[in-house]
Amino acid sequence: MNLKKLLAPKMVLTELAGSTKEEVIENLVDLLMESGKIKDREVALACILAREQKMSTGMQNEIAIPHGKSDTVDELIVCIALKKEGIDFESLDGMPSKIFIMTISPLNRSGPHVQFLAEISQLLKEEEKREQLLAAETAEEILKVFIG
Amino acid sequence: MKRITLAILILLAVVPLFASGVASGGEAENMTHKMTILVFQLAIIVIAVRLFGHIFSRYLKQPRVLGELVAGMVIGPYALGGIQLDFLGQQLFETTGGSLPVSPELYGFAIVASIILLFLSGLETDLPTFLRFSGVGSFVGLGGVIVSFFLGDALAVLLLPGVDNFMHPTALFLGTLSTATSVGITARILSEKRKMSSPEGVTILAAAVLDDVVGIILLAVVVGVAKVADTGGAIPWGNIGIIAAKAFGFWLIFTVLGILLGKKLTRGLKRFRSMEMLTGISFGLALLFAGLSEQAGLAMIIGAYVTGLSLSQTDVAHEIREKLEGVYAFFVPIFFCVMGMMVNFAAMKGVILFGLAYTAIAIIGKIVGCGIPALMSGFNLRGAFRIGAGMLPRGEVTLIIAGIGLASGVIGPGMFGVAIMTLLVASIIAPPTLIKSFQGGSGYRKKSRKKTTEEGLIAINLDFPTKRMTDFIRSEILTVFRQEEFFVQKMGLHIPLFHLRKDEILITLIQKDEVITLNTAPEHEQFVRLLVLEAILELKDFLKGLEGMKSPDAMGMDLMSRLFGGPSKEKKTQAEESDNGEKEE
Repeated sequence: MNLKKLLAPKMVLTELAGSTKEEVIENLVDLLMESGKIKDREVALACILAREQKMSTGMQNEIAIPHGKSDTVDELIVCIALKKEGIDFESLDGMPSKIFIMTISPLNRSGPHVQFLAEISQLLKEEEKREQLLAAETAEEILKVFIG
Repeated sequence: MKRITLAILILLAVVPLFASGVASGGEAENMTHKMTILVFQLAIIVIAVRLFGHIFSRYLKQPRVLGELVAGMVIGPYALGGIQLDFLGQQLFETTGGSLPVSPELYGFAIVASIILLFLSGLETDLPTFLRFSGVGSFVGLGGVIVSFFLGDALAVLLLPGVDNFMHPTALFLGTLSTATSVGITARILSEKRKMSSPEGVTILAAAVLDDVVGIILLAVVVGVAKVADTGGAIPWGNIGIIAAKAFGFWLIFTVLGILLGKKLTRGLKRFRSMEMLTGISFGLALLFAGLSEQAGLAMIIGAYVTGLSLSQTDVAHEIREKLEGVYAFFVPIFFCVMGMMVNFAAMKGVILFGLAYTAIAIIGKIVGCGIPALMSGFNLRGAFRIGAGMLPRGEVTLIIAGIGLASGVIGPGMFGVAIMTLLVASIIAPPTLIKSFQGGSGYRKKSRKKTTEEGLIAINLDFPTKRMTDFIRSEILTVFRQEEFFVQKMGLHIPLFHLRKDEILITLIQKDEVITLNTAPEHEQFVRLLVLEAILELKDFLKGLEGMKSPDAMGMDLMSRLFGGPSKEKKTQAEESDNGEKEE
């Protein structure tokens, strides 16, 4: 999967404004809106929240991967953001989440989002990468961790 | 069964009553006549192969293919097919006078069948297994090929009049003929005896892949040499080198290109979202490359095999195989039958002793040729014998090589008969020998050997409360994988074992009572976990939907209330509608 193609500097944020799970999700959806590929913000937000309701996407190691499927997009869109002090995202290990990766992919079509998330999670399994990410000051530095 | 046989015999007896004299002048009529004969021939072949195949597998406990081959011998031009039939104005299977005793039309069917066979054989090649065990496997396979080739070649030089050197095309053909193993019979026995992943089993399977490839390259060289020999006298060593380089080059370039482009090609074809389309075009390519390789001075089956090999590593290989099963089931028995028809019993009289010697040599060649490298690779005598016995059966490749030899005139009908005789004997003695050889202890000298197949795989286990629920969730998981464009193939007949493939990802899903286990390579673990998670989450939606369903009690009452009551609502409505209709009329 071509991460370079999916990730652009404008889809990366070094510090999220929100301080609750809901606020952070809204921040992330707004960031995705920057791509210009979302037809309806509310629909996008609803699909992410619906997925969170089934089971939180707060993983281990301070990572959260809120994602959803909706026809409000025609292709997979991705954004990455940090919240360095961390927020409660009902994560698997109970730790606050600091690294957020959000994806929305079209409904009813085999989505590459699983492939994308698998690749990201494989990458972030390495502690060194996570540390690099949290130490990043600019969008470029964040992208460097993923694209190299 | 008896009734069916009787019905067929009656049908065959009454056909002449309805047949008119078709053999009269005119080109169009001649063509019609030829096609009528072909249709009659095919009818007899299709019925005969089924009956003989059934008799061989059911009563004689032998592989069907042997029955199909024998069917050809029985109904062929040198036996029953040679009887003059008045209603046809000729024999059903008339010898044509050329080097082949069957009509070009019928031979055409056999050629297409051989392309299908080799295309599928290439498609089934398990390259990763071969590469994983290629060390010992190649050593064993190569040993078998070299020893059998030289023994076959030398025997021809020693015993056949007019064959005076090792490079004589007939000697080369007889050498090549004894090399090709048909591992299908062995694979079936190994899988029945659960020895497929034993050190011997894995070595045999890897050796058989090399055997096929080397055998086919050898054939390419021998066909090339034979073609040169046909046009003019002695063949200098240099020319043989060029032919060999050309054959190997063709094979290597097309295989490498094929494997590199195979995935791109299938990805492109998948856009049509139709497996029929994908299968059709793939088979078309097999035919195209078969023709091209013949044009390049090699044999058609090489192109077909290479096309299959190229697609063998794509995720659609299994699907293509499944889609071609119908074509295979129709054409391939015809191939074996037509090959059987070419056995000229009269021509075999003079070579029967040579045939026996050749058969013995073909068996010794594999036992010794594969056994010695096996002994040198850590197997004991028992293991080495098992491997040798596993490499004994001969099959379609031997037949195709023999057919090519006969068609090109390099070998005569006598030697063709010898090839069939070897095939029959080797394939009949191989199964009992193999089964017996696997009795007793380990065939491996070293005590510990790593578990081979499951090596390095990650297992994801999911435990559920009841078996019924596990069955349901298994089907849900498979649906999610299908939606992700995975090709799902059921592997076990009696146990729920599935292979899920997409590009380079291979996942094995097995259900044992209430536990579902997914095995995959470590680099795909994340992907599998996420996808299974999606499946489980979708179940949550489903459960929510169930909660919203009308209460089961109310639904049960509704169903029961109409069991002994009046007509159902639907029926009433229908009845009312028809009443109205009548009134309107």
